[in-house]
Amino acid sequence: MVNRKTAKFLSFRYTILAIIFVVLAGGLVLLPKYEKHEGINPEELLSNSVSPERYISTDALANKIISQDPSFILIDVRGEDEFSKYSLPNAINIPLKNLLDEDSLMYLNQNQYDVVLFSNDNFYADQAWILGNRLSFQNLKVLKGGINNWYKTIINPPIPTETMPAQEFDLYTFRKSASMFFGVVYPEQIKEVKKPVVKKVIPKKVIPIKKKKKMPVEGGC
Amino acid sequence: MGPLIPNGVIPYEWNNIIAILIGIFFGFILEASGFSSSRKLAGVFYGYDFAVLKVFFTAALVALIGILYMDYLGYLNMEQLYIHPTYLWGAIIGGVVMGVGFVAAGFCPGTSLCAVAIGKIDAIVYVIGIMAGIFIFSELYTLFEPIYNGYFEGNITLMDSLGVNRYWFAFIFTIIAIVAFAASDMIRKRVKKIFY
Repeated sequence: MVNRKTAKFLSFRYTILAIIFVVLAGGLVLLPKYEKHEGINPEELLSNSVSPERYISTDALANKIISQDPSFILIDVRGEDEFSKYSLPNAINIPLKNLLDEDSLMYLNQNQYDVVLFSNDNFYADQAWILGNRLSFQNLKVLKGGINNWYKTIINPPIPTETMPAQEFDLYTFRKSASMFFGVVYPEQIKEVKKPVVKKVIPKKVIPIKKKKKMPVEGGC
Repeated sequence: MGPLIPNGVIPYEWNNIIAILIGIFFGFILEASGFSSSRKLAGVFYGYDFAVLKVFFTAALVALIGILYMDYLGYLNMEQLYIHPTYLWGAIIGGVVMGVGFVAAGFCPGTSLCAVAIGKIDAIVYVIGIMAGIFIFSELYTLFEPIYNGYFEGNITLMDSLGVNRYWFAFIFTIIAIVAFAASDMIRKRVKKIFY
């Protein structure tokens, strides 16, 4: 059996447990605080940033735009003046310096749409991507090569030489049709268009019809 | 490092197995400490047994203080933990309904299943009642939906809504718990002893 001393000690067991609780909870208050690392951890950021999945190619993007895929938002991170000169259709302009404004976070910090960031090259878009990823925003992607590459591949696609494989020609046809979608006009397109024959407009002769005399009102309601 | 499953320390497939194991232990301990008796559970409302209050308050405290320490020491990332979303009025009304059921029948849903396992007839009736309640709720779901999905406050904790530092909150909560324990002991001594 328990001897008297232990019994005496055990009669205080709940008080002792209560004191342990208070000490532990008080310890939490008194512990020195340190700044915690917020957002995703460095290893994860590294593995995200070396992953090729974070890029979207211009062809894939063109395909998405043409097929009217509703699942993504285009964000132009260049300055306002560049944005007003040329940008991709339906792009939203968030200059890099305004990236963390409240209005822009609405677009970036959500998980319903894919966000495609782009600038002239990948450079600024990449910076925006890193910042976003650091804050653990989801679904950010960078347009590979940016607007310059968009111009080189989609708007003005290089014509493949005859020795190139068939895929290149397929790609070229896709790009060419894509560029037509975005408003590029090719010379052969123009040739096909016949000049509309302008017919001489013969002025219609107006034959005035004399108004009949007013008829007496028939019936009435 | 933690939480263990989301961070891949334990493979995801173990999720259900671990849940079942924890469930078995939980049920076993509920039964072993007499929580499958509706008289013991109802005691907290009539003032002759405060085991429920003490056990659940202590469990909350141990978890709270433990998680805060583990988070502080870097063993657990608190931001990855699941926080139950708050639907304010749904929670209040549901809490009242559940409280009435608790007083009336002397079981909460968990302990009732525990008591069914040892063959208590009142618990079997209670579980049939739960099923009936679920059925009625599902049938009238369109009626209840605005409350069920409305008044959404997000995944907030008491520390967010009160705006208190979480360590201070844990400390104050501990003091409240200990005061509650002492008070419940005093009440129990005054109430006439009931043999159950």
